[in-house]
Amino acid sequence: MMKKLIQAVILILVFYLILKLGIPALGSFLHHGTWPVVPTNLMRIYVFFIVAGVLLYLTFNEESAKELGKPIKEVYGNPEKGGLRMIVIAVIALFGGYITYQNVKPSFEAPVELRSIHPAPPSSVEMWGKPYNLLKLTNPFREDKANFEKNAREGGIVFFKNCFYCHGDKLDGKGHYNSGFSPMPANFVDVGTIAQLQESFLFWRIGTGGPGLPKEGAPWRSAMPIWQHFLSEEEIWKVILFLYDYTGHSPRTFG
Amino acid sequence: MGFLGKGLFKGVSFRFTSLTACLFLIFFASTLILPISHNASLSLKPAFATESPAPAGEHAAPVLSKAEGKPEEGKKEGEGKFTYQPAPKIKVEDYPIVKGFNSRIAVWIVAQLHLFFGAFVLAVPIFVLVIEGVGLATKDERYDHMAHEFIKVSMTAFSITASLGGLLSLMLVSFYPDFFKYMAGIFGKTMIIYALLFFGESFCLYVYYYGWDRMNEGFSKWLHLTMGLMLNVFGMTLMVLSNTWVSFMMAPSGIDDAGVFTGDIWAAIRGPLWNPINLHRFIANIAFGGSIVGAYAAFKFLSAKTDEEKAHYDWMGYTANFIAIFGFLPLPFAGYWLMKEVYGYSQQMGITAMGGAFAWLFIIQAVLIGSLFLGANYYLWCGMGRIKGSERYTPAIKYLIVVIVGCFLVWFTPHTLIMTSKEVTQVGGTHHPVLGFLGVMSAKNTAVNILIVSTFLSFMLYRRSNKIATASWTSTGNALQVALFAGGAINIVTLGVYGYFIPANIRIGLSIPQVMTTLTIIIVSSVLDGFMYKGAKSTGPIEWGKMGQRSQYALFLLAVSFTWLMGLMGYVRSALRQHWHVYTVFRDNSLDAYTPTLGYAAGIITIAVYIFIALVIFAFWIANFSAKKHAEASH
Amino acid sequence: MKVFIRIIIFSVVLSLCYWGFSNYGIPQVIPEAPPVEEKISGSMTMDQYIALGGKIFNGKGTCTLCHNPVGGRAPLLVESGKDGAPIGARAADRIKDPRYKGKAKTAEEYIYESEVDPSAFVVAGFGKPGTNDTVSPMPATNKGSIGLSEAEIGAVIAYLQKSAGVQVTVKLPTGAAPAAAAPAAAEPQSAKTAEEAFGKHGCTTCHTIPGIAEGGDVGPNFKGLSSRAGSRVKGLSPKEYIMQSIVSPDAYTVKGFEPGTMPADLGEKMTVKELDMIIKYLMEKTG
Repeated sequence: MMKKLIQAVILILVFYLILKLGIPALGSFLHHGTWPVVPTNLMRIYVFFIVAGVLLYLTFNEESAKELGKPIKEVYGNPEKGGLRMIVIAVIALFGGYITYQNVKPSFEAPVELRSIHPAPPSSVEMWGKPYNLLKLTNPFREDKANFEKNAREGGIVFFKNCFYCHGDKLDGKGHYNSGFSPMPANFVDVGTIAQLQESFLFWRIGTGGPGLPKEGAPWRSAMPIWQHFLSEEEIWKVILFLYDYTGHSPRTFG
Repeated sequence: MGFLGKGLFKGVSFRFTSLTACLFLIFFASTLILPISHNASLSLKPAFATESPAPAGEHAAPVLSKAEGKPEEGKKEGEGKFTYQPAPKIKVEDYPIVKGFNSRIAVWIVAQLHLFFGAFVLAVPIFVLVIEGVGLATKDERYDHMAHEFIKVSMTAFSITASLGGLLSLMLVSFYPDFFKYMAGIFGKTMIIYALLFFGESFCLYVYYYGWDRMNEGFSKWLHLTMGLMLNVFGMTLMVLSNTWVSFMMAPSGIDDAGVFTGDIWAAIRGPLWNPINLHRFIANIAFGGSIVGAYAAFKFLSAKTDEEKAHYDWMGYTANFIAIFGFLPLPFAGYWLMKEVYGYSQQMGITAMGGAFAWLFIIQAVLIGSLFLGANYYLWCGMGRIKGSERYTPAIKYLIVVIVGCFLVWFTPHTLIMTSKEVTQVGGTHHPVLGFLGVMSAKNTAVNILIVSTFLSFMLYRRSNKIATASWTSTGNALQVALFAGGAINIVTLGVYGYFIPANIRIGLSIPQVMTTLTIIIVSSVLDGFMYKGAKSTGPIEWGKMGQRSQYALFLLAVSFTWLMGLMGYVRSALRQHWHVYTVFRDNSLDAYTPTLGYAAGIITIAVYIFIALVIFAFWIANFSAKKHAEASH
Repeated sequence: MKVFIRIIIFSVVLSLCYWGFSNYGIPQVIPEAPPVEEKISGSMTMDQYIALGGKIFNGKGTCTLCHNPVGGRAPLLVESGKDGAPIGARAADRIKDPRYKGKAKTAEEYIYESEVDPSAFVVAGFGKPGTNDTVSPMPATNKGSIGLSEAEIGAVIAYLQKSAGVQVTVKLPTGAAPAAAAPAAAEPQSAKTAEEAFGKHGCTTCHTIPGIAEGGDVGPNFKGLSSRAGSRVKGLSPKEYIMQSIVSPDAYTVKGFEPGTMPADLGEKMTVKELDMIIKYLMEKTG
């Protein structure tokens, strides 16, 4: 009689475990030394739709739906099962209480922060006391094909003198100080970072650093310095050239 | 038999009146269309003049000046000495305050309701006409009756649309007079044409609806179909015309930097976003209209007393759901086109939509669309219960569920994950090594395409449920179809994976072959099925009405979700303008110029949806009322 | 009725789910408030003052008529080009130029001097033809039709310095200074003579007019105008042609000159009396 209900519970548990253990295991295989869990916030929605999917599966057919509903009807409708009913209701109430308690109990955890990884850039930005139109800005060294290698090499020198302590000698965001920061330094090798962006975006991010980020989203705690105070315009452009050249990505273009 | 003769006589006289009516209509339409085309041809001249390549060198100056002189002349001929005003720079004090009203919320809700009803009454005639045509072609009276019932449902909605339109324009005049004045200064002509077209539409609608029973044979039936076609022509023109105002506000054209109208109305109409919006709205209207009619059928089904009634409304609900899905499948592609044009028009606007404050909106959208897909599929699966022979296919459903829910979860995974600091340490950074792959466009495009293919597969299984193919090449055909689906799915996934290894600008282009694969699968396998199941053996009729109650709630889910989704996407389209009435030209300086949070917007949308539901119930109730009288009278 | 209530509850709850997800399922991003619109009156910030300067430079000041990369009629000011760095940056070097004879001690003073007394220093190659770069063809920006106020000239300097990326040294105008905003609302007073009218409307900035010493070559030379005016446009008498050329200058552009150069608003600025005097003068003295 309970067959369908048990089937539902087992199915939900299996899929839950895939998310709970399978994804971190796969992630740990890709990035050794980490255990990349699915964030709780996302997990909730995942589980919600998995439950919905399982219920849809078990109810699209009339007999199966009746069978699934039978134990529930039995517990709530059968006058002889008063004791069991009380227990079920109590368990549900306690479970609700537990969830509520887990959510409201005080913790030492820092509040969840939203980081908009690629905030919309302003249309123009002021650096070295000069306005730059980010919509039209392009890398002046990109066109200079003859000296490309030389410029990229010079950018590399800038990188290793300034950036590599955090962003790492492989540009993978694993520099010496990387573990000290939250958010961690960007991994340029990844397809999700500079490969998604235009050079003008990088110019803006490097030039104004963590403090120059827009308010968009939540407070940001990036420790990236304001590089316009230390580097010249040309050095920043060259370093951008280097970043793309080294990682093999090409800057994003629209159109 | 006597009444038959009388009816015939009546039919003749009616035929005569409808003929004159039609002539009048054609005349009426020509008076409307002529000025437009005249206008367009007038305006084409300067357009060509300015677009002609300017010859290089300073000596060419006089030639250029002559060419530029032309629009001046054209304007003077047409407009006398009138000069257009630049977009006004207005201040907070210039916005009238009507006590008890928040201007923005009031206009927002009323505009949204107007759009809901407008979409509904524009969509219903489209498929009513098609269904009527199908009825005529198959000589199946049921189709004709259903089409009649569909249009009956939309009658009250039609007048509600008109009333809301009137309310909206009055509200615009009283809350945003300067804005309305500026728009009227440019689009005044189209606004008047719009109002006139509305008469045409009402005329056609009334003739179409009230003439339904009388114009049901022979020539007059054709006349009736023509009337339906005219109704749709008027409706479409109305929509396209009002879309110009909206697309102008988002991406103004035909004006200079200060907002001074050049006098060329065609240039103002033909903005960069006009056609994408036209297409998107047209398709979405069909899906939306289908889902609302589906909800109506579901309600009638649930409250049906007899088996006959049940069977009828079950069938109606099924057809409506089919229409909704039919409109829904190509919608994402129309959406991509619109977004692409938005990017093309202004990268700033595109980034605002995709990366800025609205980034999370697309997660809400994913949840809604996922629910829609699940609901629609669930309805089909439930529907297989009323077909004998469907047992052969039901085992496949569990795999379909896994694929659909899986795709949905991929689509839903945001690019930016919300993590506690503990989770950040566990993950080893904010970039998740597994989920990070799912957050980008390549994964999402793949998921959507697979989702669509799976939904189509559900539909195909449903269609096959009570049929056994008898064609000699059936096994070959089946193998071919399996190969088609498998190959297509592999192609879509491969393209998606390939997207990770190439630069973004090329990656965007990958969505086109993906979509083409999806479309190929759909078209080729439909054609194959058509041939394979020609003269197929039946395992039994579809037992209409033998349907669980749960499935009807899936129809309600479709209707409510569609409505809500429409409100949400309408909001974001409008909000992309940010603090501008007319983007980059006419600044919004009212107190409400700021962009609210998504949660706030969701609240307003929910209120609008509730009001819509209440009004729709009212409209259905009225339709029901007249039907009851009808039934009593015939008894 | 039971069915009706059920579906109502279903729809309401479903919508509420969507509402709840939008409010609690996703982070609430508060979009940035609309940017503050620049106010041209009252107290200003330096940024607004600079923006005003940019507006004047590109508009009312008519500077870009000549200081643009296309015509090569005057040195580039905002962009760096063959004339070197932008003016804000190169001004300091100008003072050290051996040919420099002006009174300016600082870069700011140099730009100011160039605006009100253009001939104080003429960049090589940009002088009036035949004057060996001692006389500038540029009109003084604080007089004539341009007529910038002190505050407005300051704004332009600030803009030029800003766009060159150097320290802005201009002080914000104090008190009621930015008369810039309120364009001189004085009663329009007619000039007394044609010569005065020419000066008032800045005609000589671009045109050389017989009988008047100053003159430019941006627009056609008026020598012999009265004899050819009748044949320019079919159907227009010489008088009508001249009037058309003043009131709507782009209706006909003389070959070799660029359309759109001459201000189009003279018809509004001139009094009828002035227009009459000017036409009369041109008809009589340019023979």
